[in-house]
This record gives sequence, structure tokens and C-alpha cells, in this order.
Amino acid sequence: MALNRKIAYIDLTTGTVEAKPIPVKMRKQFLGGRGLDAYLLYNHIKPGVDALGPDNVLLVSAGVLVGTLASASSRTHVAAKSPLTGYFGSCNMGGFFSPELRFAGFDHLVIKGKAAKPVYLWIHNGEIEIRDASKVWGKGVRDTQEAIREELGDHEIKAMTIGIAGENKVRYANVMTEIKNSGGRTGMGAVMGSKNLKAIAVRGTMDIKIAHPAEALEYDKKVISQVTAAKVSQEMGKLGTLFIWGATNSQGLVRTRNFQLNQLDESDAIEPEEFEEHTFGMAACYGCQVHCRARYVIPDGEYKGVYDEGPEYTSIGAFAGEPGCRDLTTVLAANHLVNDYGMDTLEVGGMIAWAMELYEKGILTDKDTGGLDLSFGNEAAVIEMIHRIAKREGLGDILAEGPLRAAEKIGKDSIKYQIHVKGMSALHSDDRPAPALALGIATASRGADHLRSRPAIDLYHLPEPVLRQIYGQPVPYEGPLTSDYTDYEGKSWQVFWQEQCYMAVDSLGICKYHTIFLGPNFPNFEEWSKLLYYNTGLEMTPLDIWNVARRANMLERMFNLREGLTKQEDWLVDRYFDEPTKLGIPKIRGRVIDRDKLHKLIDEFYGFQGWDTKGVPKPETLKALGLEKEPSHQL
Amino acid sequence: MTNERRAETTAEATARGRTYGAFRCLNCFERNTAPSGAKSFKCPKCGFEWRLSWPMPTQPRIRGPVWETNRRLAEEATAKQTKGEK
Amino acid sequence: MTKQLVIDYEKCTGCRLCEMVCSVKHEGVVNPARSRINIAKWETKGLTVPVVCRQCEDAPCVSACPTNARMRDEELGRVIVNYDRCIGCKTCVVACPFGAINWDPLARKVISCDLCDGEPQCARFCETGAIRFIEVSTANKDRQREAAGQLLESMQKPVQPAAR
Ligand code: SF4
Ligand code: SF4
Ligand code: SF4
Ligand SMILES: [Zn+2]
Repeated sequence: MALNRKIAYIDLTTGTVEAKPIPVKMRKQFLGGRGLDAYLLYNHIKPGVDALGPDNVLLVSAGVLVGTLASASSRTHVAAKSPLTGYFGSCNMGGFFSPELRFAGFDHLVIKGKAAKPVYLWIHNGEIEIRDASKVWGKGVRDTQEAIREELGDHEIKAMTIGIAGENKVRYANVMTEIKNSGGRTGMGAVMGSKNLKAIAVRGTMDIKIAHPAEALEYDKKVISQVTAAKVSQEMGKLGTLFIWGATNSQGLVRTRNFQLNQLDESDAIEPEEFEEHTFGMAACYGCQVHCRARYVIPDGEYKGVYDEGPEYTSIGAFAGEPGCRDLTTVLAANHLVNDYGMDTLEVGGMIAWAMELYEKGILTDKDTGGLDLSFGNEAAVIEMIHRIAKREGLGDILAEGPLRAAEKIGKDSIKYQIHVKGMSALHSDDRPAPALALGIATASRGADHLRSRPAIDLYHLPEPVLRQIYGQPVPYEGPLTSDYTDYEGKSWQVFWQEQCYMAVDSLGICKYHTIFLGPNFPNFEEWSKLLYYNTGLEMTPLDIWNVARRANMLERMFNLREGLTKQEDWLVDRYFDEPTKLGIPKIRGRVIDRDKLHKLIDEFYGFQGWDTKGVPKPETLKALGLEKEPSHQL
Repeated sequence: MTNERRAETTAEATARGRTYGAFRCLNCFERNTAPSGAKSFKCPKCGFEWRLSWPMPTQPRIRGPVWETNRRLAEEATAKQTKGEK
Repeated sequence: MTKQLVIDYEKCTGCRLCEMVCSVKHEGVVNPARSRINIAKWETKGLTVPVVCRQCEDAPCVSACPTNARMRDEELGRVIVNYDRCIGCKTCVVACPFGAINWDPLARKVISCDLCDGEPQCARFCETGAIRFIEVSTANKDRQREAAGQLLESMQKPVQPAAR
């Protein structure tokens, strides 16, 4: 059965491994993936530990539907205390790793301690072995995976690995699998590096038993068609997530030159259609019919002929929009480099653009940059800085420390130009015209982030009745909802709803592009209830799933509060409030976020959460969700 | 109750409103169609001009603005607005 | 009329949904090791190729089988195994030039594509067109037209649409 996968506790200091079953009771409370990770992190990490020390705990997990017929059930979740923010660290990636982890018999890995020398884990059909990694230490992401396959003599091995950036503990290093599947954000790669853990290799041939196979086949077919029939799926299946750029840059919803402008004009050369010319076919993650990942070969320049996958919407933002570049090859090459070094595209782009603004303002000089011309628009500098950050050379060593630590080191008023929340850089989207998006990044559990609660469909001007249908289930909502994305009314509920929606998919192990993220007519709670039943036999109503999400989100919040988070950090940097947008369509020119109105949204949001005015969960909220005794150490 | 198994889910119900072939103007959000294969498009409602591409033979998308036109229109609109405010 | 699985690997995205539905259909489980179709992958080159039985007319696996357990089923145009006769010697596994016969490690038997008795699940779920279940004699028609079209273009004789 899909629910018989185990949890393994691995202590790298002592070299011991212990496996236990996961009780169905815990499944009903937290499902798996990110949901159960929230529980495990709250239970296993002592407050105040050094995120890069042996006391941090690294969690690797598969969602409860991973490897089943549920559409795009491919996601791997990784969590630990974040070395970037000091709060809840968490990242999620596609690919083929977690299905293979399940074929090998496991759902959750709890990795503690620190190995004396570089090691990797080899997990196969119920067995876990800690192996010497000296041969792969120092290798890039793809070479590491290939070398492990060769060493163990099996092409089919899937591996999750860190690159050079993770070894060097760049505070936003990724965990990676395949060519480009990235667990980006919050520096989980640095945590792996700090534990001397280079990779986790998995391979298995154990059955994932489907509870009701005939029904699962029929129902999954229906859900897949629901997904692939959407216009956004079809565009994404041709252009990848790059397709978003057309809509956002056309309106003026992207940050460029760090955060000075909100549109990259005359940028035809980096439009998705231009990238398409260099791609050959699309690739997909496990079980996915959307196939949003382009395969490409870099057409010219230093990396001519190199194969890679993507790039993503974030790549254009990070390597074109923010640094003010308009060169396609630079984006393709930069995407390749961050993939192979294993670094968060978004954070890298943000840090470089910030350094460029500091250079423009004279806060950083040629002396600081080692003679590198960090002017906006200098493509070569973007590429060079990627190398330096990964290798921690010169200014790169400072930027590798992430927004807050780097600003502290550089000093002056450099922090003024940082675009972050809770010490994590924001996506390149300009959220000043869209309060819902601004509220989302201000309150997201892992810092400025668009994948925790962003109601992206708010940008679509959907008619109010459609919004009511979506946001009025599985719990009723009768408050305001507005079609206009510049409005403040009702946005707090949308953010709250999306937060539960994304937690639910992350716990199920389904990709966000298969739910209400980029399009409105996608499967959500009702479909998941059936998918769970047909595939795993778990009987849970849509409301039960909603409550799993509530519980897990609550624990993420409690973790953050325990680490010292205050209400003041659910907030944006001053530029959102003080510097109006200058470009784009008339509707969004001259926009800032209104402080008072954002305060009001946050208060409403806290109210929906069942938190007090300081953002702390009320005792009755915890009781209602059965969390009053946490940490309860049941797993 | 919202929580019971319904004959039609929210996703199924809202999907009936899909408009294949149409696209929204990115300025005024009016739904439009364009002649198959057209490379550019001027919104009949607001006058903004967009460059189109055709990811699928029957489904256009906005690739980007016709920069000059849209910049001019946006500047005119904001100028008018600030004058109105004064 | 025989229908066959026609594979166009250039369209394959490597999602492995075909593997999943194949093993669910036959064994009620998801397990690529027990699927009758597999995806061969060259990760660093971006290549994914579905490998499945070609239902050979003069099948090496049939000739190799010492107990005549493997045989052609002309009605559905496929090669099947009579498990009453099969002794599990795995000779066919090695004999198949495509590596299209799997040894199921749990059921301990040879498995290969049985065309789902005429309703191939892999082709039904693969929306990319990488696997199609079509009449064999028409398998080349799309490509024929495409090539012919290119020829036409190179001859530069634009054809006017009929006047209305
Ligand atoms: S379902 Fe289709 S696209 Fe996916 S792996 Fe199989 S053949 Fe390839
Ligand atoms: S198993 Fe191999 S040899 Fe036998 S019919 Fe199929 S493709 Fe041909
Ligand atoms: S036709 Fe059926 S048996 Fe053959 S590979 Fe496809 S799903 Fe498997
Ligand atoms: Zn218009």
C-alpha cells in the first residue's frame, strides 16, 4: 500500500540508521511531504540551534501521493532550519527523486549530526548505507549524479545532490536532482554541505500498491484532462514558465535594475518566443502531462553547445530583468551555471542586482569588486559574479551570505536597497500594484516568497462569481472578493486560502501547476479527496485536507515564533511604500503599497489564521487543530 | 454543505467558462480574438497595441507590447490623470 | 487490420506515466520494474526513449523459446506468453533485440507488452503523441505528408486556394 512507506532516522555523527512505520493516525493529521515535515521539524529541532551546525536536522520527504497515479505526483520536499533566514527552511522540487525514494521503501528521512568526512547515502529496497563521497566531493551537480550511477553500476539511480555552492555553504545553496530540478530557497543545500552530506542516491523496485486500481486509472485520466485542457497548461507545455513574462513585463509587473523600475522595455530579444528557437522538445517530471521544462543547448558564447533544461520565469527575472540585461545567451548560460553549482536562481539574481545598485550608488567601488564593472546591463559581470558567489571569491564571498549578513558586512546604507522579507530575497515581480501579492510575500512562512501563499490568479481579473466559487470552499467564505488586482478588499482571504492550498499540494506531493496557481480551473481540495481515496485508500474529506494544511501551516508559524519571529517581520521593505512605480500600463503607474491598508490586511489575515494581534496562534486555535500539546514527539 | 461530495467540483464548474481562442488585452482586460496567425493586435476598446505569438494554431498570446504606442498611450493617460487631480 | 504501438521518441517528455499506468493496469501497483514499457533515459543529453515490444512478425523471442511458450497471437497482432508452458528460463529476455521483455522481480515471471488486450493504457494516457495505437499501415502517413510538403515548398509552387 502507498501508506506503508517508512520514516528513517539517520545519524551521520554515529553512523546509525533506524526505520519506523508511519502510523495512519499521523497521515490523517499531516499526510506527508511538507505537512509531516512541519511536524518533524517542530519536534526534532531544539530552539536556537546553529543552522549550519550538527544540531540542525535535515528532512527529506515524499508527499503521500508521490509515485501514485495522481497527476504530477513527483514532488520532493526538503526542510531544516534555514541558514539564510534562521526560520523555517523549506524547499520543494520536481523530478524523479521522491518516487524512487518510495520505490526504495521510504517516505521520510530525518538526518541528524555531521559526518566526519564527505559521505553520501545509498538507499535501495529498504536498506540504507552511508558511503564515502570523497570521489564526488568537488564535483558539479550533474557530474555527481553520473559518477554515483557509475560507482553503483545502475543507470536508473536517482540522486539528490548539492553542487559546489552547497559544499561552500553558500547560504542559498540548493539541493538538486537531475539536470535542473531544484530545491531552491532557504539554503537547504548549505545544510547538506554543513553535514558533509554530498548526495542521497535512491533506487527501488518495491510496489506502490494502488488501493482501487481500476477507479484510480479512470479518475486520474479525468484529472489529467482537467489540467491539460487549461490554456495555461498548453502555453506552459510549449514555452515553460517563461510564458508568464509576456503578461507581467507587458503590464509593468516586474522589478528591474534591482527595484528601480518596473518594466524591462525594448526587451524583445529575451521574450519566451526567442528562447523557444533554441529548445528541442519539452521534458516532464514524474507522471506529468504538462511538461513545462524546455530542453536546450546554449547557442553561442563561452558555454556554446552545453545542454541544460529550463530556463524558468525566474531565470529571466534574475539574469535579465533585475540586472537590466537583454541578452538571451546570458540567461541560458547563467541558468546552466546556477544549476550546476546548485544555487537558488532567485537569490543569486537578487544579490547581484542589489550589488549593481550599490555600485551605481557608489556604496560598492571598483576596489570592492576587484575591478569588475558591476554596472547594470553588464552581462559578463552577471556571469562572473555567479562563479564568485559559488566559489566564495572576493565580493562573492560576501554576497554568498545572503541579504542581511551581506548588508551588515558592506554597511553604509546598503540595507536600504535590499529587497527581502525575513532575510530572503523576493521574486523579481513588482508587487506594488498588487496588494494581494504584496501581502503574500510579507507573511509567507519562509520569507519573501511567491510559492507559499500567492494568489497569482488575482492578476487575471476573474469575475467575482468565479472567485466566489474558488475561494468559497471547502470552508464557506462570505466576505468581500474583488476582481481588480490593485484593490485591497478581500485579498487577505485569498492569501489565506492559497496558503492552505499550497500546503495541501506540498503535503500530497503534487506539483503546484496542477492546482490553482497559474490558472483558475484546476483541481483542488475536492479532487484531492478522491485521488487520495482511489490511490491510497485514505478516506479524507476536502475539509479534512484543508485542516491538514491548517495544522502544518500553524506548526511552521510556531517554529518561526519559537526562533524569535515577531510581527514586525511580516512586513515589506520601505521601497514598496515610498517609491512609486514609474512604467507600464496606466493602471499601475504611480503605485505604492499603502502602509495602513497593508496593516489592515495583515490584521485580517491573522484573524483568519486564528492568531492574536501579535501574530501568535490563540490557544483555542491550537486546541481546535489538536496542536495544544506540541511538541508531542510521536514520530 | 461545501464539504460534501458534489456532482460537479469547483474546478469542473469554473472550467465551463473557458474561452479557447480568446485572449485578454493586458491593459483594459477586454476579451478579444485575432485573425489566425496575426502578428500584432490593436485593442478595439482601449487602443493599446500588442505583439502576438501563436503557441497553438488556434490560441494566440500576447508576446509583448508595441513599445512605442503603449508607452505614448500610458504617458498621455497619466498626464491627463495628474492634470485632473490638480 | 492490425493496430500497433507506434513510438515517436522525439515527442516523449520522459514523464513515465506510461510505465505507471501499465503496471497499475496489469498488477494493480505502481512499479516501473513491473511495467511492460520502460523509458530509457540519457539525462545529460535530454533524451528519453520509450522501449516497448515491437510485436515482431518473425520474433527472435519466439524462436528462442525452448518450450514454445512464447507465440504470436494473430488476432491482435501481438506476441504473448503461455504461462502454463513458460519455465521462466529468461532466454527470451536476452533474445529480444530491443530489451523489451522484463523480468518481473516480484511475480518472478517474464512480462512484455500484451497491448492491454486491445486497449493500450500507455497510449491512452500519453497526450504528447509519443505513443500512438494506430493501424500499422498508416504509421508513416503523417511523416510522408510532412516530407512531401517540404518537397513541395522546395519546388516553390505555391498553390492558390480555390476561389469562392
Ligand atoms: S507517457 Fe508518453 S511522454 Fe510520458 S514517458 Fe511515456 S511515452 Fe514519454
Ligand atoms: S519481445 Fe522483443 S523480440 Fe519478442 S516480439 Fe517483442 S520486440 Fe520482438
Ligand atoms: S499497451 Fe498495455 S501492456 Fe503494452 S506497454 Fe502499453 S500499457 Fe503496457
Ligand atoms: Zn484593451
